[in-house]
Amino acid sequence: MADIPLVMPQLGVDIEEGQIDSWLKQVGDRVEKGEQIAMVTTPKVNLELEAPASGTLKEITVPADEIARVGDTLAIIAAD
Amino acid sequence: MPKELFVDPRATRRKGSLAFAEVPVHAYDTPFAEERGRRGDGALKEMLRHMLVVREFETMLGTFKATGAYAGMPFVYKGPAHLSIGQEGAAVGAALALRPEDHIFGSHRGHGEFIAKGLSAVAALAPAELIRVMEAHEGGALLRTVETFIGGGDEKAIAENFLLFGLLAEIFMRANGFNGGMGGSMHAFCLPLGIYPNNAIVGASAGIATGAALYKKLARSGGIAVANSGDGATATGPVWEAMTFASMAQYDRLWGEEKGGLPVLFFFTNNFYAMGGQTIGETAGWERLARIGAAANPSSLHAETIDGTNPLAVADAVARKREILLSGRGPALLDVECYRLSGHSTTDANAYRTREELAAWQEQDPITLFAAQLREAGILDAAGEQAMRDGVAEQIRKVTAAAIDPAAAPPVNVEADPILIGKLMFSNREAEPGPADPALAVAAEASSRVRQNLKKSRFGLSEAGEKLSPMRAITIRDALFEALLHHFIHDPSLIAYGEECRDWGGAFGVYRGLADVLPHHRLFNSPIAEAAIVATAVGYAMEGGRAVVELMYGDFIGRAGDEIFNQMAKWQAMSAGALKMPVVLRTSVGSKYGAQHSQDWTGLITHIPGLKVIYPATPYDAKGLLASALASDDPTVFFESQRLYDTTEMFHPGGVPADYYRLPVGVPDIKRAGSDVTILTIGPSLYPALAAAEQLQKDYDVSAEIIDARSLVPFDYDVVLKSVKKTHRILLVTEASERGSFAMTLAANIGRFGFKDLEAAPRVLGSPNWIVPGAEMESTYFPQAGDIIDVVCGELIPEKKVNRRGIRDWDDIALARRAL
Repeated sequence: MADIPLVMPQLGVDIEEGQIDSWLKQVGDRVEKGEQIAMVTTPKVNLELEAPASGTLKEITVPADEIARVGDTLAIIAAD
Repeated sequence: MPKELFVDPRATRRKGSLAFAEVPVHAYDTPFAEERGRRGDGALKEMLRHMLVVREFETMLGTFKATGAYAGMPFVYKGPAHLSIGQEGAAVGAALALRPEDHIFGSHRGHGEFIAKGLSAVAALAPAELIRVMEAHEGGALLRTVETFIGGGDEKAIAENFLLFGLLAEIFMRANGFNGGMGGSMHAFCLPLGIYPNNAIVGASAGIATGAALYKKLARSGGIAVANSGDGATATGPVWEAMTFASMAQYDRLWGEEKGGLPVLFFFTNNFYAMGGQTIGETAGWERLARIGAAANPSSLHAETIDGTNPLAVADAVARKREILLSGRGPALLDVECYRLSGHSTTDANAYRTREELAAWQEQDPITLFAAQLREAGILDAAGEQAMRDGVAEQIRKVTAAAIDPAAAPPVNVEADPILIGKLMFSNREAEPGPADPALAVAAEASSRVRQNLKKSRFGLSEAGEKLSPMRAITIRDALFEALLHHFIHDPSLIAYGEECRDWGGAFGVYRGLADVLPHHRLFNSPIAEAAIVATAVGYAMEGGRAVVELMYGDFIGRAGDEIFNQMAKWQAMSAGALKMPVVLRTSVGSKYGAQHSQDWTGLITHIPGLKVIYPATPYDAKGLLASALASDDPTVFFESQRLYDTTEMFHPGGVPADYYRLPVGVPDIKRAGSDVTILTIGPSLYPALAAAEQLQKDYDVSAEIIDARSLVPFDYDVVLKSVKKTHRILLVTEASERGSFAMTLAANIGRFGFKDLEAAPRVLGSPNWIVPGAEMESTYFPQAGDIIDVVCGELIPEKKVNRRGIRDWDDIALARRAL
């Protein structure tokens, strides 16, 4: 088992930040790789973030409504 | 946003073939005796009389044009006369099946349709209602004139004369024509009788009628919209765009409680000639016009080819299509074949058709055939027919005598009031917002976009004076959203559409989050059909609604040229104020995308009389000015710079108010006070000008006053002239190509109004008269701070002459010689 971080992806060359609109999974929930686990908002678009690995959502480091910079860790998944 | 429509590759890639709904051709075969039994002899005789009224009216106009006199009355009629002699069966047949609440939108050849629809409405309305309609028009003044100069008898007879006189006075451009003499032959209309504007642009009514149908559907105001046009119109893009817009599958598949097709009937009076070109065999390939319905949707638009020579066949078909439309299965199309016995216009020498063909169709004259049918059935004898013809001739003679009599129909006296026409261009009315829709207000509070905005700073700088990112402070994008949301909550008729407006939230995210709040019918994706986007908004507004529509890039204005320049801009004046045009056209000026996606075309729009034009550069101005545009009953083109969508508020103390507010349209705003030179900016040029001003102050001890135009039409020069009185020099900066730009207009006027205060001629710094280059070269194209400093120090204040910073080291006179 390894901890895999979910990071704020590069959402566009000139976009530096995104806001977590909502978490679709809570800490302790089972997640599958590719499953949608959070909604993120940039100034222009809303998009969904997918789980980078299958496992358990171990920790949410950026709660809903908070802003994170591109590359920031948003959550940790304890992978299978 | 979950996908509502799944594109299934298995279904999509499956082998198959397409079958088209059958398109009947001349299927009408109801026995005359059956029609007689159903309609009654009186109604059939009225059909003949209505055709005779149309024929005599058109003959009168043709005779005036050809001989300068009619029935012994000399008169010179200077305007157009696109006559419909020979097409009466189509007009009267259709009108017989229409109700007063059905609205027709016509073509340049619209007198017959106007008269037929009007006579049908007069027949249908109760006498008291007719009196109410006539009393409501110009406070009863036209009714009084008709009673005094024509008379007629009972309410119906008076109403017929009211109809014919109002039309003829309008054709003669008289002050008491139906449209105050501002419409004329090709634009006459009379709203209470369901006669909506005719149109001098071929096919233009198709999109407008489609928008009218959208309003009828959503407001449940009753009836159908009829788009009258000719066969030649099937070649025009806007007609195809209108049919595409009218046939969108989303009405049935995505609109929930508003499910159902648009109640619009595309009624093509097919006289086989597009002016002189022959649509069958020469300029089109459809062979039968009705075939084009098959291109639109699986029902082939319920298309039929019908016999326009027989008014009963037309009435039958229109009645059946009307049923289809009212049951939510529209749109529909009719190909109504008939023949124009008169020329296209009175200068038509018939060079394109033979005497044999004319003679063959004269034998199919709808009036002769129908009169014979009535005689054979014993409904009307020869004496009765002659009496009817004499009665119609006398009616037209009386109406004509009044219409050429200046005492009854005075000319429009522009000499007495030189800006009379100007005063009709805009209503300058603002609608007061209604109460909030509680359900929408609740949904809005819960939406992520609203919650996100609530957390943002209203000002662009933190308390420590640091610039905040667009995620942390209200941007122009957010400010526009807030104004829109308020109006959606308070104005139930407001709808928004354009390309990618719903799920995508607009290509630049202005609408992002609105889809969570608004049902589909208030915010939807349109087809990529700019002409239809604007034309339908015009029709929606004519019916009483309010639309905000979007052209993704200003560069697409060309695709909606007629709809913006001739329709949206013109109808308030051409109706002498009877119509209002609460349409906001949002469009963005691009950046980084090169020659066809980055042009500032404000100059094109400001050139057209009849449009208000706004181009904000700050969030505070964007919110307040969009709110004003959305409240206005006048058509507004609202430019937005893509480069500025993320711009935060740096000027207004306290930032962008969270509450609703409006700003006056037309008042330029001083963004930086100064004393040595005035810099007037349009749109995003504000920011390089501000940067230049800082440099000018720091490096050259030059104090620049910066004025942001904010609005281009209207424009209050006082703010600028006061500044010039102080600075004596002015530079105007725009991202538009200089030649013909609005900055050039402003400069010419400032030079004139402020001549005595100026020490140098007003100078325009715009983009050069060549293509916008790609992103890598943009800074060589749009005026930069260095270019501004070069002009201020190099030209306006020559004693400050410094080494050139920008690249604009060229000779404008030499460039002009090279067409640049």
